[in-house]
Amino acid sequence: MDILFLLIPVSVLLGLGVLGVLAWAVWSGQFEELESEGTRILANDPAEPPLPRGDREA
Amino acid sequence: MYACGQAYRYSMQVAVSLTDSRRSLRVDPARERAALLVCDDPQEWDLFSRRCESSHPGSPETWESQLTVRGMHCAACSLTIEQSLLGIRGVTAAHVSAASGRASVTWCPADTRPSQWMAVPLALGYELLPASDAFSREAERQEARLMLWRWLVAGFCMMQVMMYAAPGYFSAPGDITPDIEKLLRWASWLLSLPVVLFSCRPFFVNALRDLRHRSISMDLPVALGIAVTFAVSTAATFEPKGWWGHEVYFDSLTMFVFFLLSGRWLEQRLRTRTAGSLDLLARRLPDSVERLSAAGQFERVAARRLRLGDVIRVLPGEAFPADGTIVAGNTFVDEAILTGESTALPRAEGAEVMAGSYNLSVAVQVRIFRLGSATLYSQIVALMARAAVEKPRLAMLADRVARPFLWFVLLASVAAAVFWWSTDPARALMAAVAVLIVTCPCALSLATPAAMLASAGLLARNGVLVRRMQAMEALADIDTVIFDKTGTLTQAGMGLRGTQTRSGVTAHDALQLAASLARYSLHPLSLALVEAAGESTTEPALMSVQEHAGQGLECRAPPGAQRGGRLRLGSAIFCGLEGWPGQGSQVYLSDDDGWLARFEFAETPRQGAAQAISTLQARGIEVYLLSGDQPDAVLSMGRQLGIHHLQGGCTPAMKLASMQALQQQGRKVLMVGDGLNDGPVLAGAHASIAVGLAVPLAQAQADFVIPGGQLAMLPAILAHAGSTMRVVRQNLCWAAAYNAVCVPMAVGGLLPAWLAGLGMALSSLLVVGNATRLAKFKNPGV
Repeated sequence: MDILFLLIPVSVLLGLGVLGVLAWAVWSGQFEELESEGTRILANDPAEPPLPRGDREA
Repeated sequence: MYACGQAYRYSMQVAVSLTDSRRSLRVDPARERAALLVCDDPQEWDLFSRRCESSHPGSPETWESQLTVRGMHCAACSLTIEQSLLGIRGVTAAHVSAASGRASVTWCPADTRPSQWMAVPLALGYELLPASDAFSREAERQEARLMLWRWLVAGFCMMQVMMYAAPGYFSAPGDITPDIEKLLRWASWLLSLPVVLFSCRPFFVNALRDLRHRSISMDLPVALGIAVTFAVSTAATFEPKGWWGHEVYFDSLTMFVFFLLSGRWLEQRLRTRTAGSLDLLARRLPDSVERLSAAGQFERVAARRLRLGDVIRVLPGEAFPADGTIVAGNTFVDEAILTGESTALPRAEGAEVMAGSYNLSVAVQVRIFRLGSATLYSQIVALMARAAVEKPRLAMLADRVARPFLWFVLLASVAAAVFWWSTDPARALMAAVAVLIVTCPCALSLATPAAMLASAGLLARNGVLVRRMQAMEALADIDTVIFDKTGTLTQAGMGLRGTQTRSGVTAHDALQLAASLARYSLHPLSLALVEAAGESTTEPALMSVQEHAGQGLECRAPPGAQRGGRLRLGSAIFCGLEGWPGQGSQVYLSDDDGWLARFEFAETPRQGAAQAISTLQARGIEVYLLSGDQPDAVLSMGRQLGIHHLQGGCTPAMKLASMQALQQQGRKVLMVGDGLNDGPVLAGAHASIAVGLAVPLAQAQADFVIPGGQLAMLPAILAHAGSTMRVVRQNLCWAAAYNAVCVPMAVGGLLPAWLAGLGMALSSLLVVGNATRLAKFKNPGV
């Protein structure tokens, strides 16, 4: 069970890492306007992005 | 003006970034106050304030400002803010609503400036921001993010701490070696740190603020509970041999913090949703519009830079930013929020459109003729904002109870600790903590405002404006309804049907003369006269016209008459004449020689009036009709609508007397009028509803206004008031019962801390959730 002496600190570090990811998500507004994002695909893009090369050849 | 706005925005940003993220740093108060100075510019006042109608001439000018309040968590806070504001010279009134997080302050520019009175609550730790500008939206968003972030930290750490605590619950003694157990505790401690130091910050900050100001609020017991639990667990982690025992409570601690924060977060969301319809209303105007420039191009400018006479283009789906006339294009508009008219209305070239209504089908060009606070829309918003911060009687009672109740809680927790101390010190601490956590005065003080707010928002969506929140209580147990006739039961627009004149006077001249008088009045019959007369250039200008409410108009010394001559327009009695029998309403015109002309009007009952009256009568509500009109006309109208109690020829004083007689019989009277000539009656009734927009909204005397005049909604409004009061009573009973059961249980040591946290969060949620049930309101026949 000695491995626990390593695994428990690692779990704490992992936990802190997840908190970091959550912090980014909150402060970059990932949890806001959840409903309207889905409809964005329907809007016309102002500039058409270039197609990937494979598509262009086909 | 624009530069001012920029500076204002910038410095408010500075103020917020100072208070938002850098609270721990010492903030120079002088700098914060300097940021508020921008609000002192009179040009900026219109953004968040309205000038008050002065009650009597000569009184100093006052302004009423709407603000959002930050840092407020319960009813006790709103009291503190109100008291601090009222202590300032020049502040004449302050209302703070804990439920909507809004405040309204009335102040005198002669004595004080916004920065002065904003600085006082700021010193107490509450921030007032001007409401209804783009900037307070940004501040609210930042606050919502911070709240979400605190909640996520607590939630995630709770899960992790629970993982470390689980082996202790499931293993037999001796399964875990002391080394591993120690490691698990350290890990729990480490992950509890962010919860206590970051997620619980608001509790500690508010509790400290309360202590400093020698007041008490909800956050003090909670903060104490958190601090005690964390201290005991920390001590047990690093020194398990002490008197505090070797038990750790990190799992309980993180769990109840998580539950508390969940409760607050959800409560906030529900609250913004119920207050949402008010905000929705207030934020309806677009921030920017396309304006026709001198070069003939449309360019996008900020809506506040619009001037009278500007031509703007409004696209489909956009709201009109101001009142205006359509100069190009035919479209449909949605005026539901202004008039309650839910169908799309056609608006052709030359028609008027109102600020706040939506353009539905085609892009139109509009020439602006009314802007800002002059529009009906902004009058409605101001009314709603004022109603939202007004406190009903029951809520004030709850506020008064909240403070002694908190003291009782603190004493109870000390008692619990003392009681258990002799048998088991560790248990004594946890019992005391459970008492602190479980009590929920929030539910008590939220019970009424949450329901009232939900109700007002809903009524607003259905085209009913609430002017006085307290009236909801009276409206719930109404058993008598008195209607006014003209303009209330009947349509505002009436047609002139016939004219009889004295020999030697042509009908045209009589009409012109009458119209010249009628122009000074807003009475529906006067409006009909003016309309019938049409635009005229030959009309004599009259001096010193006096209106006798409910009777008629009088003009002394009309031009062309001998000195001392008198011209009267109004009811037969007012003109000193014998009334003629006839159908419908009649207006007489008389001069010193007596009768001059008689005008007959045809009137039609409003749509839905008969239906509303029969529904009311079916519910056992007595319906009365009191009118200043001719008894004959009143009788025929009453017969048509099925009203049995009729009285015609009433002066306003007679109406008031009849109403008071009914009140003395113990009846609860609702007066329904047009707010024009029945002001005193409306004010004297238990509750009052004004129908239609005969008078400007700000001057209407009634508790409720139905601008669209849908009488059919009346029974539904009464029923809705009934269900609102039912929800309020349920909420109060629940909050009282919850506390009565849980506090003794916690004192008895039967509630673990995590369960206490869950109980408190759920009880607040139940109260707010119950209030949102009110959103189901049937809107009949409209």
